[in-house]
Amino acid sequence: MTVIETAQPEAATTGALSGEAYRVAMRRWLGANLPASFRSDHAAFSPPTLQQSIAWEAAMYRAGLAGITWPQAYGGHGRTLREHLIANQEIGALAMPESVNSIGKELAGPIILAVGTEEQKRRFLPAILEMRDIWCQGFSEPEAGSDLAGLRTRATRNGDTWRINGQKIWTSGAYRAQRCLVLARTGPLEDRHRGLAMFAVRLDAKGVRVRPIKSIDGRESFCEVFFDDVEVLQSDALGAPDEGWTAAIRVLEIERATNRMYRSWRFENELRHLISACKSDPVLAQMVAERHYEARLGEIVVDIEVLKAHVETAVDALANGDSIGARGSLAKLHWSEAHQRFAALALELLAQASLPPLAAVQLARRRFEAIYLQARAETIYAGTTEIQLGIIADRILQLSKGK
Amino acid sequence: MNLTGEGLQPSEFAVTAARAVADCAALSLREQAKHLANDGLLGVIAAQDVGGLDLPLAFAVPVVAAAGSGLLGFPLMEALLLGRALQASLPRAAEAVVAGEMLATIAWQGSVSAEREAESVVLNGWVGRAACAEEADALLVRIGNCAALVPTDSEGVIVEEATGLDLTVPEHTVRLQGVTIPATSGLPESSWDVLCSDASVLRAAAILGSAEACLTLAQEHASTRRQFGRALSYNQAIRHALARQKLGLEGIRHAITRSVGDEAGALQRDAAFLAAGVYGSAISEGALQIHGGMGFTWDVPLHRHLRRVRALQAQGDASATLAALGRRYVGAIAAADAAVSG
Repeated sequence: MTVIETAQPEAATTGALSGEAYRVAMRRWLGANLPASFRSDHAAFSPPTLQQSIAWEAAMYRAGLAGITWPQAYGGHGRTLREHLIANQEIGALAMPESVNSIGKELAGPIILAVGTEEQKRRFLPAILEMRDIWCQGFSEPEAGSDLAGLRTRATRNGDTWRINGQKIWTSGAYRAQRCLVLARTGPLEDRHRGLAMFAVRLDAKGVRVRPIKSIDGRESFCEVFFDDVEVLQSDALGAPDEGWTAAIRVLEIERATNRMYRSWRFENELRHLISACKSDPVLAQMVAERHYEARLGEIVVDIEVLKAHVETAVDALANGDSIGARGSLAKLHWSEAHQRFAALALELLAQASLPPLAAVQLARRRFEAIYLQARAETIYAGTTEIQLGIIADRILQLSKGK
Repeated sequence: MNLTGEGLQPSEFAVTAARAVADCAALSLREQAKHLANDGLLGVIAAQDVGGLDLPLAFAVPVVAAAGSGLLGFPLMEALLLGRALQASLPRAAEAVVAGEMLATIAWQGSVSAEREAESVVLNGWVGRAACAEEADALLVRIGNCAALVPTDSEGVIVEEATGLDLTVPEHTVRLQGVTIPATSGLPESSWDVLCSDASVLRAAAILGSAEACLTLAQEHASTRRQFGRALSYNQAIRHALARQKLGLEGIRHAITRSVGDEAGALQRDAAFLAAGVYGSAISEGALQIHGGMGFTWDVPLHRHLRRVRALQAQGDASATLAALGRRYVGAIAAADAAVSG
């Protein structure tokens, strides 16, 4: 792996840059360091192993491309949200593997920053950025999917020690994670949202069992996680019961609007890849020059522009100190459905390619078949489409539910 | 008022515009022109030399949105654009438009041929989608990539009624048969493209205003109308339908914001217009559906908004704009090396 060796010195030199100079520096670094084999639009593509992903993400962090807005005291780069947006635009512009630690960087980290103790921040946050700790998210349960207030996993306290019993499901990446952000109940089930507490549970702790679930794309990306009398020290409890969850909800709102901020720029990268592959094929080249497909590709371009507009206005609002509230649901709803529309169009186009199939078309097919299948999950995870519509109706439109 | 735009926010124009639009309801077209001019609303983007405020296009957005929301029966977008388009070559006409003394409009569809004869130009052809052309004093017609201002009382100008959905701002078809105008009535090269690009943003703004009004009406109706012993908004089907309309509305709003940003170009402007057309018609059709039979009546203003949105979509030639946007996007991307991509 050449990634690790070439990545070292850049971070120090980007510290003083801002705006366009910062963008150029990030672009240069990514261009020089992203291995061709990691790029799903490159002939040399071969999905990275876990160890390669870890090394790559650690290198990205050292170059200033992770923990961008986190305080320097906890290993972050102390930059603004607008700079975070700039970096993400550059990350999105390249066909790069998804982070194996996005739960750590975009969920656990911000929650720890919001409710963690000083000791927890110093212990957990640098380990996330340096990729020593990969996190997974233990919120959903067999009986509590969309309705988290119905979760049954229980945490009971005895002095300085908690004991956790229960089961989590749809825990993405639990098989590769060191830590799980577990949401558990400290009081009776009837308490619903009250009495929920969060814990940073080590997955190698005694009593934790992880069982992978094979998903639609043939991968074993998510898991069931069983907790059988797992001991967790008070020092790994995040925030007080109640308080932790309330703060987490606020963080989740912001995350919904800002996580994977590169998304619309990645969709654009995907669209460019699709078009360039089509133009290399004699049949498809003619097809994408016909009005029917010009218009349908045009619709995808408009979808992407609208998504960028949602993201940029959210960043502006946050940068101006406005609260984001439920507005993240708007962007989530839009991107998840727009991506499904796009993936379906890509499959439709690529299915009409000429024979014998060209290498460039095969490569695009592999990428878009995976994207199409994975996109089915996008209207389910992080709150289903129906949940987002409910949030918009309840909290943004404030429609009366009463009689 | 600070005329340079420093410290001024586009949103500050929304309140003035909404009040002026409401005042215009009972006025004739010419009275409306004077009224809007007195409030400084016709010259928002025109130069100070011709009586305008010389503000960026973003400042015209809330003005046109208020006109859409209030169903203003005046070709406001055309007046705003003409005040600026004419300021360099025909400053006196620009001044008259900004002052509300001249009613001018634009024929958005079609192009006429122009033949130079000494100091004059002779125009021939058909143009269409000209809002309020019947009452207008002057009409801007397209000649290739340029345009010329034609007095509607010129010999050979025949204004005809055209079918069209919009009742608020009716459109006309105009035939120009050997119309002679001074050569100085022409606008500079590529002025037509600039006009169309700015119109994309303002049409999106007009649709935003209409869509916002429709969603407000639908929300009110869903909260107050009772069936089966409950407000309509109790039902998830209604809640989710309204939530989708809200998603569309915010999509239009944000796309417009992006289209007038520092780094925006033709793509962002077209995208704002196209998104507004798609979401705006869905919102106004959806609001009509939520009103049930009442939505289909003349008494509820939803149909007026729906008519406006569809007319604006057609006026901006949404279908061709979409295909052209796709064509430019596809055209700018190189083919992958068929054998070795990357």
